[in-house]
Order: sequence, then C-alpha cells, then structure tokens
Amino acid sequence: MIILLDTLLVTLILTGFLLLGSSRLGASIRISALQGIMTGLLPLALEHGDLFSYVSLLGVAVIGLKGYVFPRLLFSALRESDTSREVQPFVGYMASLFFGILFLMGSFWLDTRLNLPVHSGSDLLVPVAFSLMSCGLFLIVARRTAMSQVIGYLVLENGIYCFGLAVVSGMPLLLELGVLMDIFVAVFVMGIAIYHINREFDHIDADRLSALKG
Amino acid sequence: MSAENTLPILILAPLIFGGISLLLRSARGALRFCAAGTLATAALAGITAYNVLRGGPAETANGWLMLDALSAQHLLAMITVFCLSSLYALIYFREEAADGRLTPKMAGRYGGLWFGSLAAMMLVLVSNSLGMMWVGVEASTLMTAFLICIHASPGALEAMWKYLLMCSVGVAVAFTGILLVAAATGPAGLHGMDALLWTTLMEAASRLNPMMLKAGFIFIVIGYGTKAGLAPLHNWLPDAHSQAPAPVSAVFSGFLLNAALYCILRCLPLVEAATGNEGWGRSILVIFGLLSILVAAAFIVMQRDVKRLLAYSSVEHIGIMALGAGIGGAGAAAALFHLINHSICKPIAFFCAGRIGQIYGTHDLPGLTMIIRRAPVWGAGLIISLLALVGVAPFSVFLSEFLVLKAAVDHSLYVVAALFLLGLGVVFIAVLRHIIAMAWKPAEQQAGPVKFSLPEALLIFIPLAIVLLLGMWIPGPLLKILSRAAQVLGGLS
Amino acid sequence: MNTLSILNLLAGLILAPLLPGIINRTKAVFAGRHGQPVLQTYFDIFKLLRKGAVYSRTTSWVFRLSPVIGLAAVIAAMTLLPALSAPAPVSFAGDLILFAYCFGLLRFFLVAAALDTGSAFEGMGASREVQFSALAEPALLLGLAALARATGSLSLTGIFSASAGPSAGPALALVSAALFIVFLAENARIPVDDPNTHLELTMIHEVMVLDYSGPDFAIILYTSSLKMWALGALLVNVLFSFLPLHGPAAVACVAGSMILLSVLVGIVESIMARLSLLKVPQLLAGAVAISVLALTLVLRFTS
Repeated sequence: MIILLDTLLVTLILTGFLLLGSSRLGASIRISALQGIMTGLLPLALEHGDLFSYVSLLGVAVIGLKGYVFPRLLFSALRESDTSREVQPFVGYMASLFFGILFLMGSFWLDTRLNLPVHSGSDLLVPVAFSLMSCGLFLIVARRTAMSQVIGYLVLENGIYCFGLAVVSGMPLLLELGVLMDIFVAVFVMGIAIYHINREFDHIDADRLSALKG
Repeated sequence: MSAENTLPILILAPLIFGGISLLLRSARGALRFCAAGTLATAALAGITAYNVLRGGPAETANGWLMLDALSAQHLLAMITVFCLSSLYALIYFREEAADGRLTPKMAGRYGGLWFGSLAAMMLVLVSNSLGMMWVGVEASTLMTAFLICIHASPGALEAMWKYLLMCSVGVAVAFTGILLVAAATGPAGLHGMDALLWTTLMEAASRLNPMMLKAGFIFIVIGYGTKAGLAPLHNWLPDAHSQAPAPVSAVFSGFLLNAALYCILRCLPLVEAATGNEGWGRSILVIFGLLSILVAAAFIVMQRDVKRLLAYSSVEHIGIMALGAGIGGAGAAAALFHLINHSICKPIAFFCAGRIGQIYGTHDLPGLTMIIRRAPVWGAGLIISLLALVGVAPFSVFLSEFLVLKAAVDHSLYVVAALFLLGLGVVFIAVLRHIIAMAWKPAEQQAGPVKFSLPEALLIFIPLAIVLLLGMWIPGPLLKILSRAAQVLGGLS
Repeated sequence: MNTLSILNLLAGLILAPLLPGIINRTKAVFAGRHGQPVLQTYFDIFKLLRKGAVYSRTTSWVFRLSPVIGLAAVIAAMTLLPALSAPAPVSFAGDLILFAYCFGLLRFFLVAAALDTGSAFEGMGASREVQFSALAEPALLLGLAALARATGSLSLTGIFSASAGPSAGPALALVSAALFIVFLAENARIPVDDPNTHLELTMIHEVMVLDYSGPDFAIILYTSSLKMWALGALLVNVLFSFLPLHGPAAVACVAGSMILLSVLVGIVESIMARLSLLKVPQLLAGAVAISVLALTLVLRFTS
C-alpha cells in the first residue's frame, strides 16, 4: 500500500508541474480533474482501521465531484466564454516551472523544520500538501484568465485536503462532506460569475478588470 | 421556549423564508417579505439572546450548537443591522421596483440570497464547532457574492470577482488553520467530533500542543482576517462595499466583517490559555489592528467616492475592534461596545449615502454638495453619521474609542496609543474636509428639495439618537452584557 | 580493466551505428515503407571514409580538429560506462561528472567549428543547440546526483553495481523519465529536433555539421551514434538496475535493451510532431523539475 500511496503523491506533484507549464485551458481543466481523482483515491491508499464506510462514501463523493462535476461546470463556462488559451500570463511558463521547483524544495524544507506529527501513511503527505497549496496560490496570482484562477483555487483546496489527511486522525465525516459541498458551491458560483463576466465584458481576462482603483 | 430549542430554528427559519421568496411574483412583494421574514427571525433571535444573557450559555444538538454571552451580543448586533437594512431596502428599491429595473425574478433572487446570508451568518454565531463556523463563513461569502451584482454593471462584476476569489482563498487558508488546531489536540486525546468543539477545546486548553496551536492561529488570523478586512488583506473591501447596492453594503460593513472577526475572537482565548496567557495571540491582533487603522487612514485621505470612503472607514473600525480585543481586559469590553456602536452607525451612513447617490445620480464626493438643503433627512443623516463615525463627542463611537485608548494607556502600551491617535486624527481631518464640502459648498445647479416621509426620518434619526444617547449614558443591562461577553473573550465563561 | 569491461566497451563501439538504422527502420515500418537497410549507417561511414574532403576557405584548424576531439571525448565517456553490474574499463569517484562533461567538450568543439565557418546557418544552429543544452545539462546532472545519493557512490560503476534501495522506486522512475527527455534532446530527436528536416530555418543539429564532408563527416556520423549509445546505455542501466545480472549476461542485456530503446525512440518519432522552438525550453525545464523532484525524494528518504 505504501508504494501505491507514494506513487499517487509523486503523481500529484507532477500534475502540479504540468499545470504550471500548461497554457491551454482545456488541458488545465482535465489535469486538475485528474488531480482531484487522485486526491479522492488517497484515503483508500492510507490505512484506516474500521472506516470502510467512511472511506468509500467520501472517496466516491470526492471522485464524483472533482472528476466529473467540476470539469463539466468549468468546460461549460469555457465554452460560453469562447477562449481556449491562457492570455499572456504575468509570469511566463518557464519561470512558473522554476517557481514550482522552488516551491517543491521549500515544501520539503518546511516539512523538516515543522516536524508535524503525521498520523497516517507516508512522510510525503505534508510536503506534497504544501507544494500543492503553493502551486495553487501561484496560479491564482500569476495567471490572467479567471478560469485559471478557479483552477488555482481547486489546486489549493486539493492541497489543503491532503494536509488534512496528514495531520488529523479521522475528521468527522459530516465535516468533510460539508467542506466538499462548500467547494462544490464555490466552483459552481465561480462558474456562473465567469459566465456573467464574459457576457458583460466579452472576455475573461481578470487583469483587465481594473477600473476600480484606490 | 427555552434557548436550547430555538437554536436550530434560528438557522432553519431563514432558509425556509429564502426558499419562499424565490417563488414570489412581484418585486415589491419580495422586498416586503424580506423585511417581514427578517423581523420575525430577529424577534426569535432577540428572545433567545435575552434568555442566554439572563440564564447562561445554552448548548444543544449534541454540543454542536451553542450560544453564550459573546455570541449573544454579536447576535443582537446582527439582527439590528439586518432589520434596519431590510426596512431600508423597501425605500431604496422603491423607484427601481416601480419602473421595472428591478424585475420580480431579480427581487426573488435578492430575497433568497438575503435570507441565505442571514442563515449563514446565524450558523457562524450559533456553532460550537470551529468547522461549522468555517462552513458558515464560506457559505456567507458565496451567498453575498451575488448580492453585490444584482445589477450586473462592469464595476459590480469586477468587485464581485475580486471579493469571491480573495475571500474564498482567505477562507481556505483559515481552514488550514482549523486543521492545525484539530491536530494540536493530539496530546489532549480528543478525537473525531470533539476535536473541534469550542467548549471542549477550552476545557482541554492547557493540554493542547502550543506550537501547532500558534501556527494554526496565525493561519486563522490571516484567513479570517482577509474576510474581516484587516490590512493588508483588505483589497477587496472598498470595491465590494462601494459597488453593492446600499442595503447590501450596510450588511457587509455592519455585520459581515464582524462575523469573520468573531471567528478570530473565538480562537483568541483558546490560544491564550494554551500558551500560558503570555499575550502572544493578543499581540498579533494588536499589530493587525494598528496596521488596519493606519492603512485605512492613508487611503481615506485620497478618496473621491463617498461609499468607498465609508468602506475604508469600516476597515478602520474593524482595526479598532481588533486592537481593543488585542489589548484585553477593559479594552476587550470597549471593543465589543465599539462593535455595537459601529453596527448601528455604519448602516445609517450607508443608507444615507445610497439614497443621496440615487438623488444626485453619482457617488463622487466633489459632486455631492449642499446635501442638507437638497435632501433634508438623508443629507443631515449622512453628515451626522459621518461625524459620529470619525469620533466626534458626545456620540458613542467617541466613547468607545476613548475607552480603547484608555485601556492601551492603562496597559502601558504608549506606542500603540500614539499610533492609534495618529490614525484617528488623520481620518478625522480627512473626513471633516469632505463633510464641510458636502454640507456647505455651493452647488452649481439649484435643484429643489426632495420630499421625505415620516417613516424615512424615523428610520434614520432614531438609531442616530440611540448612538447619541449611548455616548452619554450606558444603561446598566448593556454594561452587564458587555462585561459578560468580555469575560468570554478573556477566557472565563 | 578486465576482459568483461573491454567486452562492454567493444560492444558499444561496434554496435553503436546500428541504432540510427533501427530508428529509421521503425519509422519506415510506421509509415508503411520498406525503408533503408538497418546497416545503412555502416555503409555511409565506409563510403565517406573513402572520399576526399573539401574545406571552406573561411575555416581554420578548429574546423578540422573538432570532429577528432569530439570522437575522443565520446569514446572517453564510453569507457566510464558500466553495463549493469559489469564494471566499466575506467572508474573512479566523481567519474559521473566527467561523463557529463565529456559531452560538454564535444558540444563545445562542435559549436566552435560551426561558428568557425562564418555562415549564418551554422551560427543559428549553434545558438539553439547551446540554449537547449543549457537546460538539458542540469537535468542530466541532477538525475546523476539523485542516483549517487541513492546508492552512496560517486562512480558510475559503483552506482550500478550496488542496487538502489527499495524506497528509491519512484525516484528511479522519475530519473529515467528525466533521462529519456535528456536523451531525446541531446541526440536531436523529435520532439526537440527533426533529424530529417532539410529546411535550414528549422534545423538544429543537422545545420551545425552542414559543411563537413568526407572522412570528417564519417567521424561526425560515428560520433553521433556513439553519443546515442552512451546516453542510451545510461538510461537502460537506470531502468534495469533491479535485475540481478552478472558478467556477459549483463553486457548482452544492455546491448539488447539498446535495440529496444531505439525501437521506442522510433515509435516516439513517428507519433509525435516536433515541438515549436518556444516550447522546447518548457519541456526541458519540465525535465529539470522531474530531476529535482527525484533528488528531493532521495535526499529526504535516505538520510
């Protein structure tokens, strides 16, 4: 099981790199869906004692939401907005990849400094969580289209989910489902917002939304 | 009807009302239903709060819902803001509903979202579990986002997107903090549901892991601070509060910010108890509070839009509340008193600013001149509320700011007191300049005075009179409420 | 320096020109053609050795010297290569750095000769080659560093004679992925460079050697094949390091896997198009990222 866990975690980091370097919005949505499915598989790979129902229900919910519902929402918003590529981002793709490398090294260093008591599974969980969180924040800050910012938010939430799996031994199922519902509604709302923005402005370039200053 | 039984109803009732308002057929009917439903919920909440303040904390639903002095006081502030705003919405949207700019569908959506945010903020206040509080804050972010852009203008959409993204990210960061708090319960042996219940955490405070709790507190302050408008994470605030319609801006400034600050205040006694009461958590709040006051003062100097001015003033006042809570003791009681004053005064200011914006057609400060002559009720209301907000005696805001200052000096925090005074002074001078221009600068075109009605005058002047009264005399029961709530903040319940 | 290591080296020297032939054959099969004979590179080399050379008047001794130095550098690199547990003819601590920099030496002289011709096309190809190598080299070195850290030895022979621990599983996979991208980049294969293109504006490696003729060009062809063998053998060693083979079996395994690797490269060339020149640095930066990840994993879990 530890091999499966480690493979999942390493693939998560690789998807983070892929997102940092990808300029096509459709591909980005698919990669974030893949990331969501893998985070949904994580509890299965971690050993949980008597929580068979917990694992299956939560896992199914996460995989269904992140692997199917979110991509559908985002793709429909993308279709409406008629864009398919990221507009020239603030930080170029090469520089983004190097920032990703820096975040990776920083996450591992931070993990050795913090020495969090990890409850389950492998030592990689906390660094992967930090790395995903910083990749997500970077995407929100450094990209121009609103769609990329939503994908960054999803990556951030994936990272926080991994962090939760690592440090908390057994979150209440109700709370996890509540969090999942909140993320679902958040992405739904953001999709609707993008639709409205595109209708009003005819683009989804969040950088051009800069009329309000001071 | 005991407090225990009413707590779940307080959350469910607004949800049901929200569902009903989505089905209503006319715009005016939806707005009237909004006001009626809000008043009904407010009555129930008021009774519950009274019971709790009389009898002591109430817990129900297996310990997941709880109301104590601190949350009861916040509850009273919330229902005041919501009631006033829902009544004002009838006035503000009257013309728009009449000439069809506010369609029945938009009004129904407005009502649904209004009740949804009421329910979400209620969930924040009555939860005992830190996780449910988080769910409530995130839900309130999502519900209020579309309230900003009821009329989908470019400015409103831009404000809505900034608000949605920044606050969602902030709330996500706060969730990391909550995870760390849950992880800190390891040594105390709490598991599962118990790990996030506030009452259980307070009891086990001395056994929690202080390092993880400190790290969690920092994340919580940064995350919820984004939602509360603490500088330097306040960038969404001026846009969102200025672009939203006036009743929504009033709710934003009047209570939404306080709801986020409430979550930080809930964790404060926890951190203090776990770190041995050495004041580490409080000093963080002091720093953020001072920063907010100074940044707000700097930006107020160069404002040209009256609603943005009021928004930055909200940043300043949240900073004062955080500062007072950070000073602790008498400062905490002063901060809670300030909360009440701000929650009464700021909505009135937004009401007047919104109505004047409708009359004049613009929110630009240079264009708003001779407002008392043109619109007696609203103009006078705006001037008086602005004066109250910058701390003119004998209004109660002056009293609460003075009490915070006194607490700072009593605790020998002289640098803090000096910077606080500096910020207040800069805001006073900057806003006074605008007030004088608005009230007495001659207008280019002389338009006739706008008619007003008695209910409008009552809506504006009764709260202002209360603010004036509180500045001169704090009734005994109110003092007791404040001291009990401050005790919760200080770690005693 | 025993017979096994000499056998290893000889296998490489003799079999290397087979690799481009196999790649071309695979591509032909994919395209439905019959294609060149598999031994075509041998025929080309012998044909060119019999011909005379023509030198441009703008070139100097650098141009004439560079193929020879390149060949010497690559053969030096090959003497450092083991075949799984069979040792290399030469090995000492730190020889993996020498391995990487032999290719650097080769590249330097190739570029110097290209610039020496004074032609714009060669200069353009030289600048692109150097830019891509600047990104591929860190990937190679970091991958080698990860391997060294995982096994605790600074010599290529030492790395592959011990077996890297079981927790290095994901790290080994990542290193092989990075090394594969480096292999494609250094040997001027699709998706980095198209070896069949004749449009000067899109050539990278081909254009640098445009002016060579006769024996010099024969040496260039042979050097390219040896370079492909050297980097490919490194990759194959990483991939199959878990197999407990010894002696001549190890050498045979490496030789056989090289043929499989060539088929794989042929398949990759057939199904992908060349990346636009703006995207190639991103691909190489990705390879660097993968190497860094492998190194971080190894550092974290074998300390």
